[in-house]
Amino acid sequence: MEDQNLDAVKSEEISDSFVCCVCLDLLYKPIVLHCGHVSCFWCVHKSMSGLRESHCPICRHPYNHFPTVCQMLHFLLLKMYPLAYKARELQILEEEKEIGSFSPQFDADAYNSQSKRDLENSACGEPCVEQLESSSYILANDANIPEQTSDENPEVTGIAIDREKKTPQNWHNGNCKQISIEDVLCAACKQLLFRPVVLNCGHVYCESCTVGIADETIKCQVCQSSHPKGLPKVCLEFGNFLQEQFPEEYALRRDAVQLKQVDSKNGGQTTSSSESSKQGDIMSCSIDSKVHIHVGCDVCGMYPIVGDRYRCKDCVEIIGFDLCGDCYNSRSKLPGRFNQKHTPEHKFELVSPNTSHNIMLRLVTGQIDGGSTLFITDYASENSENGSTPRPLSGVSEEDTENIMVIPATSIDDGAEEDLDDSQTTNQISTENPIEPH
Amino acid sequence: MIDFARVQKELQECSRDVEKSGIKVTPKSDGCLARLIGTIPGPSGTPYEDGTFQIEITLPDGYPFEPPKMHFATKVWHPNISSQSGAICLDILKDQWSPALTLKTALLSVQALLSAPQPDDPQDAVVAQQYLRDYQTFVGTARYWTETFAKTSSLGVEEKVQKLVEMGFPEAQARNALEAVGGDENLALEKLCSG
Repeated sequence: MEDQNLDAVKSEEISDSFVCCVCLDLLYKPIVLHCGHVSCFWCVHKSMSGLRESHCPICRHPYNHFPTVCQMLHFLLLKMYPLAYKARELQILEEEKEIGSFSPQFDADAYNSQSKRDLENSACGEPCVEQLESSSYILANDANIPEQTSDENPEVTGIAIDREKKTPQNWHNGNCKQISIEDVLCAACKQLLFRPVVLNCGHVYCESCTVGIADETIKCQVCQSSHPKGLPKVCLEFGNFLQEQFPEEYALRRDAVQLKQVDSKNGGQTTSSSESSKQGDIMSCSIDSKVHIHVGCDVCGMYPIVGDRYRCKDCVEIIGFDLCGDCYNSRSKLPGRFNQKHTPEHKFELVSPNTSHNIMLRLVTGQIDGGSTLFITDYASENSENGSTPRPLSGVSEEDTENIMVIPATSIDDGAEEDLDDSQTTNQISTENPIEPH
Repeated sequence: MIDFARVQKELQECSRDVEKSGIKVTPKSDGCLARLIGTIPGPSGTPYEDGTFQIEITLPDGYPFEPPKMHFATKVWHPNISSQSGAICLDILKDQWSPALTLKTALLSVQALLSAPQPDDPQDAVVAQQYLRDYQTFVGTARYWTETFAKTSSLGVEEKVQKLVEMGFPEAQARNALEAVGGDENLALEKLCSG
């Protein structure tokens, strides 16, 4: 049985366009970076630097925000490679259980109903049977995820599994690998995507449509979140794929877009008002600024957070739930990046950057090659200083101070270089999820 | 935790076009995927031409998010490679590493480093001095080192194969056996006799 499954998985030949450049496997929960390059959710997260701005693994384009998963690509891949994608899901879920943090779960029903609404709006096409199939498939998947089993209506799950059992025959003869144009529509013009760009929020537009949205900063029409740093670059892999899949329609779209551009030029308008902001300022993680090392904002994705950081006091997940100053003030209600069970009723507290982390940063960025001894003395003295002066923020709990007091002692005891890593992780946990000091 | 699934894929990918690139990556004798041996041919038109260089590769726990550790196991005379330890001075093996790079692309970069020495950013100061002050001597030394250290296994392979064929072994088998034992004639004979 296992072997059969494996063979079936292998029979789905995966296009090079959809192989992640980091894990060299089928993209799972794909994220499109500002530069248009695609990688898996965890591959992007692990590639990012917790200390300063990150760089695209392929083109080294700098970026500061951890983008949201592109759901359109996610469901597209699920539809094209159902077996391989399912296998990837199980594999990643195992890894996630080990590390105790989870990638976001997507509700196919919600996504499909959204796209159906889009279809009705654009008044084209009948309901797609394939979409129904893929939705039942996702439902069955969700039943495997421990957190969700309790909320799941057992009847629905049962039906979903029954349906899933019926579908595999279709998968093998390749019927459901057929994707339709309805799966790849622009969020703005509701037509086939032409030169697709993916915003930080994961929503996909034609390049020409984002020009319409953009004044100073690009704001997503679907979720109203703003995209940092000007116009993103076209996701060429996705664009080429669309051109291959729908050659005629894509050519028509090209003509239409070019015509539009000629028109607007004749009208004396510049189409590229966003160009100016393209060179938007790259966040400088200067040492004096408040950098919250290894902490990211769960709404806009800024990582590490620079400036004010608000931590949720009620989220119990190891990874925590944090907001940057802007997102805290704008009261966004988007879900967390790691499937946290955050609700609007949860309380926040303002957290100042961990001083010991900043010393780490100073050491790392200053390239001080002082060895572990120098580090530990510095580290301890800064911390004791910190302990003697009362911290200005009443919001910081006592546990925090206690944790900080405990750590230097352990690092001096062991006195080895590994302490750098040890103390760092301990500290990180202590700031993100207060635990008993040990 | 090393992503062994990825390492496995890299090895497959690398062995697929070994003919074209000449770059080989194989696990060390213990079969552990964290310790590997890379082989690159010396680029033509350089003093390293016709040499075969072995590079020891150790994968850190964070691979592919941290660079692989590489150093030359074959002695080599080059401004950016230590003539003593084989340490390589190459930015992509340090801060310029990217997880989209692979063992093969990293080895290609090392091969490119052989054709384009950077004496202004030296690993071996003695070699770099010689390169800058007396280029002809540098070329001579580098060629001599290539002849001496990077060719032993390939030197006279044809003659050795011929010898084994004369003893009555099929040519293909003799060649494989020689390759498997790293070119040692007696070991190859032993291997062939033991079956």
